[in-house]
Amino acid sequence: MSGGKSGATVKARAELALNDEFLRKAVRFTTERLRNGKKKASEEHGNWEEWRERGRQIRLHTIAHLDYYLNTFVENARANGVHVHFADTAQEAVELTLDIAEHVGARSVVKSKSMVSEELHLNHALESIGVEAIETDLGEYIIQLAGEMPSHIVIPAIHKNRYQIAELLSKEAGYELPPDTTALAGFVRKKLREKFLEADIGMTGCNFAIAETGSMVLFENEGNARMVTTVPKTQITLMGMERIIPSWEDLEVMATLLPRSATGQKLTMYMSGITGPKRTADGDGPEEMHIIIVDNGRSLQLGDPEFQELLNCIRCGACLNACPVYRHIGGHAYGSTYSGPIGAVLTPSLNKNIAEWDDIANASSLCGACYEACPVKIPLHDMLVYLRRRKVESGNGNKLEGMGMQGFATAMSSSKVMGGLLRMGKLGQKLVVRDGFIRTKLGPLKGWNTYRVTPSLPKKSFRDQWATLDQELKAELREMPTAMRERMEQKAREQRESKDGGGHGHG
Amino acid sequence: MMRPRKWPGLSLTWPTPRGGKGGIDMSKHVTQTGSDAARPTGGSQGDESREQWLARLAEQSRQKQERFMNNISERLRHPRMTTAPKHPYRGAPDFWRELDWTTEQKIDAFSDNWLSVGGHVAKLGSMDEVSAYITAKAEEMGAKFLVRQDDPTLAGLGLEEALPDVQVSVWNSDEQQPWKARAAEADFGVVQADHAVAYTGSVVVTSSKEKGRSVSLLPTVLFIVIPAERLKTRLGEVLIGLDEAGREALPAGVHFITGPSRSSDIENDLTIGVHGPGVVYALIVG
Repeated sequence: MSGGKSGATVKARAELALNDEFLRKAVRFTTERLRNGKKKASEEHGNWEEWRERGRQIRLHTIAHLDYYLNTFVENARANGVHVHFADTAQEAVELTLDIAEHVGARSVVKSKSMVSEELHLNHALESIGVEAIETDLGEYIIQLAGEMPSHIVIPAIHKNRYQIAELLSKEAGYELPPDTTALAGFVRKKLREKFLEADIGMTGCNFAIAETGSMVLFENEGNARMVTTVPKTQITLMGMERIIPSWEDLEVMATLLPRSATGQKLTMYMSGITGPKRTADGDGPEEMHIIIVDNGRSLQLGDPEFQELLNCIRCGACLNACPVYRHIGGHAYGSTYSGPIGAVLTPSLNKNIAEWDDIANASSLCGACYEACPVKIPLHDMLVYLRRRKVESGNGNKLEGMGMQGFATAMSSSKVMGGLLRMGKLGQKLVVRDGFIRTKLGPLKGWNTYRVTPSLPKKSFRDQWATLDQELKAELREMPTAMRERMEQKAREQRESKDGGGHGHG
Repeated sequence: MMRPRKWPGLSLTWPTPRGGKGGIDMSKHVTQTGSDAARPTGGSQGDESREQWLARLAEQSRQKQERFMNNISERLRHPRMTTAPKHPYRGAPDFWRELDWTTEQKIDAFSDNWLSVGGHVAKLGSMDEVSAYITAKAEEMGAKFLVRQDDPTLAGLGLEEALPDVQVSVWNSDEQQPWKARAAEADFGVVQADHAVAYTGSVVVTSSKEKGRSVSLLPTVLFIVIPAERLKTRLGEVLIGLDEAGREALPAGVHFITGPSRSSDIENDLTIGVHGPGVVYALIVG
C-alpha cells in the first residue's frame, strides 16, 4: 500500500489541490450533486433514521458473528461450484490471481469496479506477466488511461474535464474525438465491447455476499459488471472478508441504503445476484468462478472496541460528499486508495501503520458530518480522535505541539500566570501590531497568518473589565421592574412550597 | 494536482504486514511473453493437469479456511460458532412490510419510476398488442436482428411471422450457434420479466438454459414484457422469495434492471447506454 503514497504530506498534496481551480469546482459540484440527491432520496423514502438503525444493526450483528457467517458463505459458495480462496495479505491475493490467470492461459482481463483490486494494485501485477488488464467502468477506464488513482469512491474521474478526457481517448482511438460526452461515451462503448468479447477473464469486486446461499451481489449503473460476469469464460471475484450479510432479506435494507446514500437513486440501474458459475445447460455466464476472500488488515479491527465498526462500511461515499475537508481538497490529497473521512480512518487501520499515515487523520475538522451522512452510522469522527490519540501515545506526536500544550496548561491553570502573560503580550505585541492586526508570518505565526490575520490583544481585555461588569450586573438586578421582580419571587415561593409540602415522592 | 500512480517498479515488492516472504517471486509467473498462440497452461507446475491444479487449490483453501475462521473467532473473543446465531434484525423494519399497493397503484408507481430514469413504458391489453407494438418499433427503427428468450409466452407473440425482414433468433435453441455473438449483434432483445417491483421501478430477470443473461444485456434496444400480475410493491417481496427458494433452487444469475444503462462519469453529464441497452421498453400487459 505504501506504493500509493508519495513522500509528500497530506498538507502538501492539499495545497496542490487547492491551487487547481477546475478540480476544486468539479469536486464541489459533484459532491453537492450527490449530497442533494441523497437528501432528496432519503426524505422521499421517509423514516430514514429507522432504516439507518436497521442497517447498522444488520452490519453489527454480521460482523459480531463473522466467523459463522463467513464460513457459511464459503461452504455454500463451494456447494454452488465456486472455487473459494483465502488471502491474508494483498500479496497473497495478487499471487492467487496471477496463478489463475496463468492456468486459464489468459491474455486479457476485463475488470469492473473494485476497491479491493485498487488496494492490491493488481493491474500492474497482471501486466508484468503479459496479461492486459482493462478497467471497464467509464470513469475507471479514463483514469486507467491517465495512469492515475480514483479521486472519489463513486465518481472516480471527478478531477478530469471533458477536454482532458477527449485527449486521452483520442490517443487510444488513433483519431480525434470531440470533447462531447455522448461521443466520448459512444467510443468507449464500442471499444470496450470488443474487449469484453475477447477477454478470457472477468474480474469483479463484491458489494455484498449472501451467507445463506453463497451468492454475491453487485450494484452498478453502466452494465459493465454484468458484462464482466456474463461474457468471459472465467470469473474472478475479489471480496473483502467483511462484505457478508446473512440473507437476501437483509439485502433489502442494504439496497435501500446504498444507492440512496451513494447517488440518490432508488436502486442502481443493475443489481445482480450471482450464485455460482453457469449451469451446465446455460448458454452464457462463466464456466469457472473463483472468489478470493481478502483480509489485508481487516481482521485487525475485529475485537477492537474503537475500530470494529469500520467493517460495517458499505462503501457508498456519502461521508466524502458530506465532508467539508474532502469537498475542498478532493480525493488525491489523501494519498491512498480510500479517501475522505472513511479513507482517513480505514487506511491507517488496514495498514496498522499509524506513524506513516498519521497526517491523514488530521485532515478532518471533527465536525461529525460524516457520521450524520453514514447510512450505517459509523462514528468516523470519534475514530479520527482515537487515531490521533494512538499516534501521540505511540510516541509519534508532534514534539513542539506537545510542548505548546504543556505551556498552555500551565498558563491556564493559574489566574496569576495567565494575567502576567497577557500583560507581557500586550507589551510585546507593540512591535508587530499594525491597525489592530498582526500580519507578520514570522515563527509560529506563519501557518495561521498565511491565509488569515491575527487580531491583536485588546487594550482592555475581558478579564480586566470583569470586576466592573460584575458590579453592573448586580446593580441591574436590583433595578429590576417591580412587576418582573414580583413574578419571580412568586415563582420561587411556589417552587419552595411544592417541594416542602409535596411529599409526592420527588425527593 | 494529479499525482500519477506510483508503482513499486517492476521488481514488485509489497510490504508484508504479517511477515511472510517479501515480494512476489516473479520468475514463477513469467511465461514466454509475446507468443500469442496457445500459451501453455499449467506452465511452471510441470505436468500437473488442470484438475490436479484445482484440487491442490481446493486443499489449500480448506486448510486456510480453518486458520482464517479461527483467527476471526479469536479476535472476536468467542469460541468458533457453528450454529446460526439469533438474528433479531433480519430484513426490513416491520412497518415497511405492511406496504401493499393495489395493482393500479403498482402500475402507476412502476411507470413513474421507469420514466423518471429515461425508460419507456406502454400499458397494453393483450399479448397481441405486445406483438403489434414490437413490430411497429422494429419497422420504425429499422431493426435487422432480434434475439428473444426461449419462452412460450414470447413464442406466442409470433414475431418471426410478423417480421419477415428481421432475423429473429431464439436463445440457445441450437447448440452450434455462438449465442453471445448473436445477442451482441442484435438490435432488439425481447425478454419476459419474472417479477417487477413498483416501489423501485425494477424488473427482475433470471437465467436458465432458455433464458440467456446476454439477451437483456447486449442488444441496443431492450423490450421487457411484464404481465401485470407479476408486479410486486416492495423489493423485499422478491428477495424473500430467493431465501425461500434456497441455495439449490437459485439460478446462476438474478438481475434487477431499473432502467437504461447510464453513467455520469464525464463531468457529471448523464449519458445513457454506456455498456448495456440504452433504450428500454417496459411493456405492462393486463
